[in-house]
Amino acid sequence: METPLLSVQDLRVNFIGDNTVARAVDGVSFDIFPGETVCLVGESGCGKTVSALTILGLVPMPPGKVMGGKILFEGSNLLEQGEEEMQKIRGNRIAMVFQEPLTSLNPVFTIGDQIEEAIKVHEDIEPEILRQRSIQILKDVGIPSAETRLRDYPHQLSGGQRQRVLIAMALSCCPDLVIADEPTTALDVTIQAQILSLFESLQKNWSMSALYITHDLGVVANIADRVYVMYAGSIAEQGNTLQIFNEPRHPYTQGLLASLPSRSKRGKRLHSIPGAVPNPAHKPRGCPFHPRCQFTVESCRSRFPEVCDYGKGHLSRCPVLYEKQE
Amino acid sequence: MTNNQETLEGLLAPKRTRIQEFWLLFKKNRLAILGLVFFVLFFLIALAGLFLTSGHDPVFNPALIRLQEKLLPPLSTPNPNTLRPDEHPTLGFYLFGTDNLGRDVFARMLQGAWVSLTVGFVAVGISLVVGIFMGGIAGYFGQNHIRVHHILATCLLIAGAVFAVLGHVYPAALLVAGVALYILGMLRTKQPHKNGPLTSWLALFRMEAVSIDTLIMRIVDIMLCFPSFFLILTVVALLPASMYNIMIVIGLTSWMGSTRFVRAEFLSLREQDFVTAARALGVRNLRIIFRHMMPNAVAPVLVSATIGIATAILTEAGLSFLGFGVPPPHATWGNILSDGKRFIFDAPWLTFIPGITILLVVLSFNLFGEGLRDALNPKLRER
Amino acid sequence: MLSFIGRSIIQKIVTLFFVSVVSFLIIHLAPGKPSQIDPLNPKFTPEILERFRQEFHLDKPLYVQYLLFYKGLFTGETVSWKDNQSVLKKIWERFLNSLPLFIVGTILTWTLSFPVGIRSAIFRGGFYDRSATFISYLLISVPGFFVAYILIILVVTQLHVPVFGMETFGLQMASWPTKLMDRVWHLLLPSVLGATGGIAVLSRYVRSQMLEVEGQDYVRTAKAKGLPPDQVHYKHALRNALLPFVTMFGLILPGLIGGSVIIESIFAWPGMGRMAYEAILARDYPVILTVNFISAVLVLAGTFVSDLLYLVVDPRIRL
Repeated sequence: METPLLSVQDLRVNFIGDNTVARAVDGVSFDIFPGETVCLVGESGCGKTVSALTILGLVPMPPGKVMGGKILFEGSNLLEQGEEEMQKIRGNRIAMVFQEPLTSLNPVFTIGDQIEEAIKVHEDIEPEILRQRSIQILKDVGIPSAETRLRDYPHQLSGGQRQRVLIAMALSCCPDLVIADEPTTALDVTIQAQILSLFESLQKNWSMSALYITHDLGVVANIADRVYVMYAGSIAEQGNTLQIFNEPRHPYTQGLLASLPSRSKRGKRLHSIPGAVPNPAHKPRGCPFHPRCQFTVESCRSRFPEVCDYGKGHLSRCPVLYEKQE
Repeated sequence: MTNNQETLEGLLAPKRTRIQEFWLLFKKNRLAILGLVFFVLFFLIALAGLFLTSGHDPVFNPALIRLQEKLLPPLSTPNPNTLRPDEHPTLGFYLFGTDNLGRDVFARMLQGAWVSLTVGFVAVGISLVVGIFMGGIAGYFGQNHIRVHHILATCLLIAGAVFAVLGHVYPAALLVAGVALYILGMLRTKQPHKNGPLTSWLALFRMEAVSIDTLIMRIVDIMLCFPSFFLILTVVALLPASMYNIMIVIGLTSWMGSTRFVRAEFLSLREQDFVTAARALGVRNLRIIFRHMMPNAVAPVLVSATIGIATAILTEAGLSFLGFGVPPPHATWGNILSDGKRFIFDAPWLTFIPGITILLVVLSFNLFGEGLRDALNPKLRER
Repeated sequence: MLSFIGRSIIQKIVTLFFVSVVSFLIIHLAPGKPSQIDPLNPKFTPEILERFRQEFHLDKPLYVQYLLFYKGLFTGETVSWKDNQSVLKKIWERFLNSLPLFIVGTILTWTLSFPVGIRSAIFRGGFYDRSATFISYLLISVPGFFVAYILIILVVTQLHVPVFGMETFGLQMASWPTKLMDRVWHLLLPSVLGATGGIAVLSRYVRSQMLEVEGQDYVRTAKAKGLPPDQVHYKHALRNALLPFVTMFGLILPGLIGGSVIIESIFAWPGMGRMAYEAILARDYPVILTVNFISAVLVLAGTFVSDLLYLVVDPRIRL
């Protein structure tokens, strides 16, 4: 089997608050292979964004603190890299598209400045070529009259255009891996679809790997090769898209899928998972999902569930369902 | 099921009241705790000072002059041969020394503590009352307009008052009658009467002149045009010297900040759902303001009040220093310092003791205020 | 753009009018008449008083006095009651004396508080930040005149340098380096003192602005691009953090008069603040009113300048 481009192994990140310690990421492992699109799915507050930010070393510390684990990028552990090595990786090898296009662009610099800057830090490049490249990349992300747009300030662009600019910035150095943190959440539904297909086509054309973070299972079904379902700081279930959607093996995944509206469920009441995501500072003992789970047995309350292998890379952290299956 | 429900709820968040939460945050800030301790200490000392230095035969007499004992350094003992028994300092020695008239500086500082505290609290109290009132009106009723007839009525009222003050009884009575008529008319027009020859005239009077918000903010702008210390100095110099005038003047020249705070807070609170909900339920304006909005707006005001007290104490000291402070029978830290400046090389304690005391007290208020701000404002927490 | 400027100017003029009315009323309605300047002065016979009243229109109704006063002010005819000198000329002389103090103080304030504040923000919570915070609280809380006296004791007793006034009396014949050094010494203490409070307040403000901006999403974006920390802090964060200070730049103008009263009177510096103080002592209404009026003009001009500057530096505001 080929080696993964990025391999996150048992990552643990804590946030140390005034009186509490929040275990935001609590033993997360996932792999991203070259050219692959991996989705990280979960409700808000389950640690998806923190995991992604940790990869780039962008978690503010303090209050954040990496408690353990490894992030192997082409074999070297990013957590052990110095600040200067990380600067060479950020933007250049691993780029990130953020959630809020409205606030993620600096209001006092022009679009052109910000894109050119992203290229300039990593490459020694003639000003004229630099300009041409920025124009080209703006065209690639589908911004009309790119030449004049370069001189615009972010506030002169619409939300969708700003997200395109952010994608352009992320892709400007042809990174090996793009991390997209809910890039479409803040946008209108019609624009969401446009951005999504743009993202997908660019990524496939340039054969980049992508880590796509979302809470939207519809998006996942569209673009993912493989899916990691995250709950309360750890991976609940993983597998390829078909496995996850057709044969969910974790009660949480099942709940998520059941709560999707669909034509077959027309006229029926939508399913909802009772309760809410636990506060990361006060997680329940045992399986973090047990207070909301309908299959809870005594052992769920006391023991953190181990991984159960369903074959072909389909893993789930629910021994109860695994036993039932057998 | 209920059991399960409880565990669900219990998992979400630890149960703490707002005050507990606040206290936990506040405790983290060691400087703020230090400020609070000094604050309380100072309060107690000032209170003790009031009782120990006032009355007919005070325990510490700040006004007792012993010329033969003048300019003694701190901790020196009096010479018993030259003093009458009732002139002995209560402690048996001069803790803070004596001044150029042989008065016990410790007793004077005690008396000054109460004066400084009163000046600070009353001045800030006045500025808060004015500030919250103006800011609240601007923020809550700001969109309403002042109409031409409001302005005319106010003019009438002012003219009447002027005549009354000048002693012209008849014009005053006439104008007051006019105002009374106006008020009656206002009550009448509550009932809509559409037709009639008067309507077009009334329309002129009902024209909107300026919105309340604009009016109040322009007043704030005008007040901000005066250099504040210079203005205070001018007014205090023109008025007869008295402690109350100083408090009032400081208060009336420092309300603009809290007006702006309260207005901004009210403007944003107005738009929030719980206020809309309250209004939809038919809650009266006053109740919305005091029950729903005030508690939310009070935090920044509290902070600025704490820091305002510090500023007022400093301002009073500055005024005393220039000779316009609280007049002589009262000792204040400012005028002890100011009196001491002539003896700065011979009796430095007369400068240092009040100077350092003012510094400590003002510092503690500032630290406490900043601690309050950090603890009350969760947005700033991680900073 | 032009309409903004026009509206703004009109608004400022209206405000100025009200300021002039209010300050006139405050002065003239306060108890105590200027004719009571010095009851013990034997030269103040009733006849002279009467002439004085007529000369300065004190026998006219208040609104006439108001009109006459501001007419006099704009035509430059107003004279001080104390010494019959032209008020504007007097103020101009004192202004020139205050100017070096103001310039040195402002330069000190702005050059010191920015590095301190930015450094505090970048290394927040560290030893540097905490000590800077504590020291600035200390400086905010200490009465200025108290520090002044401590410094005077230090300088006079340890360095034996005279510090009162603008220059040492009797040095007119000395060589110019001696004179220059003398001037510098006299200038240094009052301007440092004038700057301390400003440094403390401004550096705190710089710090909080920087912190506010450092938490913004675009700073994270800049980091994610792989920019070195210096570029992240000093280019992306600082440019945004500086915006509000552009407006403050206009607001330092009024500092020419306001804050210097105490410092100038301690150091016997013949500047504007001291003149204002003396005018208040002597109830020299024309001088008080003129100083007040000029400082209001400065405040309004300052806010106007900062509004304009804001238009220039913030690309989001386009009219």
